[in-house]
Amino acid sequence: MAELSITGLGKTYPGGVQAVEGVTAEIADGEFIVLVGPSGCGKSTILRMIAGLETITTGDLLIGDRRVNNLEPGDRDIAMVFQNYALYPHMTVRKNMEYGLKNEGLPRSEIDARIAEATRTLRLEDYLDRKPRQLSGGQRQRVAMGRAIVRDPKVFLFDEPLSNLDAKLRTQLRAELKALHKRLGATFVYVTHDQVEAMSLADRIIIMNAGRVEQIGLPMDLYLRPATRFVAEFIGSPAMNFVEGTVDPDRRSLAVNGSHSLRFAEPLPAEPGHKIALGIRPEHLTEVPAGALSMELEVDFIEQLGADTVVHGKLAGANSPLAVRLHGVQAGAAGSVVTLGCEMDNLHLFDLGTGQRLN
Amino acid sequence: MVENRPLLTFLTHFALIMGVVFLCFPVWMALVASTHGPDALARSPIPMWFGDQGWQNYSQLLAAGLPEAGGVPLGRMMWNSLIMALGITFGKIAVSILAAYAVVYFRFPFRMGFFWMIFITLMLPVEVRILPTFDVVTKLGLLNTYTVLIIPLIASATATLLFRQFFLTIPDELVEAARIDRAGPMRFFWDILMPLSRTNIAALFIILFIYGWNQYLWPFLVTSDESLYTVVMGIQRMVNSGEALPVWHLIMGTAILAMVPPVLVVIAMQKLFVKGLVESEK
Ligand SMILES: Nc1ncnc2c1ncn2[C@@H]1O[C@H](COP(=O)(O)OP(=O)(O)O)[C@@H](O)[C@H]1O
Ligand SMILES: [Mg+2]
Repeated sequence: MAELSITGLGKTYPGGVQAVEGVTAEIADGEFIVLVGPSGCGKSTILRMIAGLETITTGDLLIGDRRVNNLEPGDRDIAMVFQNYALYPHMTVRKNMEYGLKNEGLPRSEIDARIAEATRTLRLEDYLDRKPRQLSGGQRQRVAMGRAIVRDPKVFLFDEPLSNLDAKLRTQLRAELKALHKRLGATFVYVTHDQVEAMSLADRIIIMNAGRVEQIGLPMDLYLRPATRFVAEFIGSPAMNFVEGTVDPDRRSLAVNGSHSLRFAEPLPAEPGHKIALGIRPEHLTEVPAGALSMELEVDFIEQLGADTVVHGKLAGANSPLAVRLHGVQAGAAGSVVTLGCEMDNLHLFDLGTGQRLN
Repeated sequence: MVENRPLLTFLTHFALIMGVVFLCFPVWMALVASTHGPDALARSPIPMWFGDQGWQNYSQLLAAGLPEAGGVPLGRMMWNSLIMALGITFGKIAVSILAAYAVVYFRFPFRMGFFWMIFITLMLPVEVRILPTFDVVTKLGLLNTYTVLIIPLIASATATLLFRQFFLTIPDELVEAARIDRAGPMRFFWDILMPLSRTNIAALFIILFIYGWNQYLWPFLVTSDESLYTVVMGIQRMVNSGEALPVWHLIMGTAILAMVPPVLVVIAMQKLFVKGLVESEK
């Protein structure tokens, strides 16, 4: 079995950079886990500790029921796909895929069988005798995946494998990766900074910030009930709107800045006098001024995306920036005022200080 | 830069052609001289075109050697030069690629200290340390051996630095991919580093072979046994052969023959070298 158990994992680089701190996660056999977070938050470091390319400073790492903290990468039953492909430039595609198997001492017939299988899966038959430099970026990354597949590892590790490809190819390879995961049934740990990639690929997402785990959950959980303001801001595009203010004594309104306040149909789930950040996703604001609250938006500019229109502006009377995503093609002029509404269920309340979710 | 200015084109071509003529003229003179008899070269004007003694001169050189210069056959001297040049070339490449491998890929105590020690030897070519080195090889009883012709010239930092710079450009991800593919340090060296260094090795081979082949001062100091003479020393001995007049036609023939191996090396290796420049494999 290839579940992955990470307990209290930490990494301090020589020189004192604490890149990862106290990461704990249980990854089930066959799960597609995506590690996501802004650049520099320690995703690659975690992946490289799982791979054995970086020593583990604190904590335990188990693959199956074997503690692998001190095993060499080659002995951990993992395979890794790198952002820059890391193919051996002087070897043909076939040699690239064979290399690890040869070092493992597998018999020729077994090697050939595995390569045949992998090339069929990845449609690489025509390229077996080419060198990496004769391939496009997408093909190179497929070869890198092939090199991982032939090893038949328990755990596949991916470090931003699609980042160097153009948008169209990225979408295509994303679908292929998903299909590959289904077919192989192996455990995938995938690192990306792109939340769209994370949402579309993951069974579960681990979202990281500054070396720590912010939240672990199903993609939809992260979207619908982000545990912290950081998660709320990171997941979803355009990003969630935030209005900061103080809850009034009757808990039915939020004092935004001095004069202006927002009124709600139901009491807010927060203590009177509490300073909070109220989060609303742009797609949850409607032009119907009904529901739990109504607010006015002063339009700054309009983004036409075709299927949708994103209206950017400010909350009237306050200075909070606000964006709304409306269906279809919508007209609107800068300077005009739009009245918007939102359902109570779609409000996210976060403590202004700690960023923790309140409702 | 594609410019169409006839005068400029003319001037640049003229300069280049003059350069070529300037470089090739002595070679041409040597080649012509080696095909004449001894008398033709003693007269003025010196002949500018081939004579009829070429066959005779070269067969004498290759078969019998020069009685005026101790009678060591040219073949013997060429052989000695070849051993020395190849010994220096292979020795230097092997030592420096391993040293660079250690400095770049292994973490050991005083790593940078060792690197700087290697670096400092850049300032100490054989000519500078000639007396102490001579003293050492004498005490080791190495005079008049191939070993003494080769070993002291192997130690130098240039090639190590070159390989180090090259290794530093190899992406870390490649090293990591190899680790995951269960390649230990030796496998990584042979299967990945060596093939990637191919063009660098070819370039160094050319430079070092010529460097080794042209050594003069050091072999001159440490060999007195005629059977160890190199071609470059042989030419010198022919020119200063005591009271007898220098036999210019044979000396020129020797010079021409001494040029052949370096030229062959350049021709053989240049394909690899140019290929390396054109198709970057990183
Ligand atoms: N080899 C290293 N030595 C020192 N610090 C490092 C090293 N590698 C990464 N770091 C630091 O650790 C932090 C996390 O890096 P990384 O895991 O690469 O982030 P991510 O992949 O999420 O962008 C960063 O602050 C980075 O500067
Ligand atoms: Mg990274």
